[in-house]
Amino acid sequence: MSGIIEVENLFFGYTTKDTILKGLSFELLRGRFLAIAGPNGAGKTTLLNLLCGSVRSNAGSIRIDAEDVGSYSVKQLAKKVAVVRQEIVPVFEFSVAEVVSMARTPYLGTFGFESGPDKKIIAEAMSVTDTQRFASRPLAQLSGGERQRVFIARALAQDTPILLLDEPTSFLDMKHQVGIYDLLKKMQLDRGKTILAVTHNINLAMQYCDEILLLASDGGYSHGPVEEVLNTELIEEVFAVRTVTGKTDVGTFFLPRGKFTKNSRRTGPETAET
Amino acid sequence: MTEFLTAKNLTVKIIICLAVLAAVMAGCALVGTQNISLRNVFAGPGAEAGANIDYDIFVRVRLPRVILAALVGAALAAAGVVLQAILRNPLADPYILGISSGAGLGVIIAVLSGVTWGFAAGSPIAVFAFAGALATVWLVWAIGYFAGGSRVTCLLLAGVVVNAFFSAVIMFLTSIAKSEQVFSTIFWLMGNITEKDMPVLLAGGISIVAGIAALFAVSHRLNVLSMGEQQAKDLGVAASRTRAVAFALAAFITAIAVSLSGLIGFVGLIIPHAVRLVFGPDHRQLLPVSAIIGAAFLVIADTIARTIVAPAQLPVGVITAIAGGPFFLLLLAKYSRKVGWLK
Repeated sequence: MSGIIEVENLFFGYTTKDTILKGLSFELLRGRFLAIAGPNGAGKTTLLNLLCGSVRSNAGSIRIDAEDVGSYSVKQLAKKVAVVRQEIVPVFEFSVAEVVSMARTPYLGTFGFESGPDKKIIAEAMSVTDTQRFASRPLAQLSGGERQRVFIARALAQDTPILLLDEPTSFLDMKHQVGIYDLLKKMQLDRGKTILAVTHNINLAMQYCDEILLLASDGGYSHGPVEEVLNTELIEEVFAVRTVTGKTDVGTFFLPRGKFTKNSRRTGPETAET
Repeated sequence: MTEFLTAKNLTVKIIICLAVLAAVMAGCALVGTQNISLRNVFAGPGAEAGANIDYDIFVRVRLPRVILAALVGAALAAAGVVLQAILRNPLADPYILGISSGAGLGVIIAVLSGVTWGFAAGSPIAVFAFAGALATVWLVWAIGYFAGGSRVTCLLLAGVVVNAFFSAVIMFLTSIAKSEQVFSTIFWLMGNITEKDMPVLLAGGISIVAGIAALFAVSHRLNVLSMGEQQAKDLGVAASRTRAVAFALAAFITAIAVSLSGLIGFVGLIIPHAVRLVFGPDHRQLLPVSAIIGAAFLVIADTIARTIVAPAQLPVGVITAIAGGPFFLLLLAKYSRKVGWLK
């Protein structure tokens, strides 16, 4: 079985001089959960945009479900790939239910009204994400965590095999971060969704994701199972920050250390490190 | 679970709104400086011309004017809905992308050059206004496209700059024109509904109703388009194509409205907001309901304009602006804190 996403020798730059992605290749099997990590400007969101077809690559190929991403129409691709982007507040006061209903747009007939099955899918996506409680409230009145769940509900109602998420937990507190990842993991396990999440939180990635794609600023990358890819040396090389690696019986974690952090060489007199 | 908008539910609402509109139109056609009785109107035209004055006033004078006001109101409100959606700006109106200044320039050129020929039953002023409006909108679109590609901010800025530039040209031409020429231009710029011939009404009516019907077909895509280009694409809507189609249709019906009645402000701005506040932002409902309410609003405004200082008449634009101005300021205070595209 070949992967649901196959990226081969991908090159991309916003200008000709400045190439972000240089010969990126990876394959993701159906039903896997991939974290995309790396420093700012390494091309994580760009890669997401390439995968959902909103940006075209300079060279190389991306295949979704064995077909080149460029061969899909916008509508067809929206039935394969759903995207949850960072923080969006609509101009008009759409209610939560209306925002989730927009997911059915690629499936609507000529007159543009939701059919019975459409409504069922919308209601189901809202109940899974626990957003039906505020279904009739305007999106602007929700907290960041609630809003993020609404957009995940919309992505689920789009009924696609692939979910792309751009930093789904970046503005959320710890409880909501874990809540979002729990929800995603559940969708992976129960429904066999293939999930790609851009994230800065490698510790959450370590706990939830099967694989990681670590993009470096120079266009290099590492891809593989999270436990194999992530280690102190690689993180220092890619993110240019030293970490303290802690091993517990539920997994490994990485604690970033700066020059002035407590108990560092500069600030901690009593327990100076090496 | 919240209620979904269904085709049936929407049809019922539209029929109720249309019934209200019909009642408003009939009522307003009976109001005027000359009192007429409905019974006399229904008695028919009479044996010879002029036998039944009530019938003549109703059918030949007031009805065409009421129909014109309804058509123009519907076109402006529908175009307002569409432009607010595609520019993602609650403060957009049908004139924001240069239609007003373009049409105004066309009119003043027609007045100054003293052309007398019309086209397809339109007066020279109407023809020049129509051509000026469409040419300017196309110019703004082209500038916006080359300057910023698909970003709507560039389109908005292009519209504002072209509007300012053409307004300056209009002022320059006005300052060198003779006073009676200036008077007719200013009357036109303030928005002015007058009696029109049936063929003109028919042609305008068919174009406007067809335009609104075509816009209705893309109205569910306007929902996702109002979330932004990227969101629209993620949800399977070809953003630039949909935007171009919706924009062309909105510009077309606005240009027709403008050529029929001059620049009537505020209808295209306040009606979409008022309807959105009551019925919500779903464009499948917002578009047709706004068009019908816009029609009723302008019919009433025009009835006030032609009766309040009778036997003289006010330009209807004065009435819509006096009623719309304070309302607009309230909206501005309420909405400006969360205008999404500024972020």
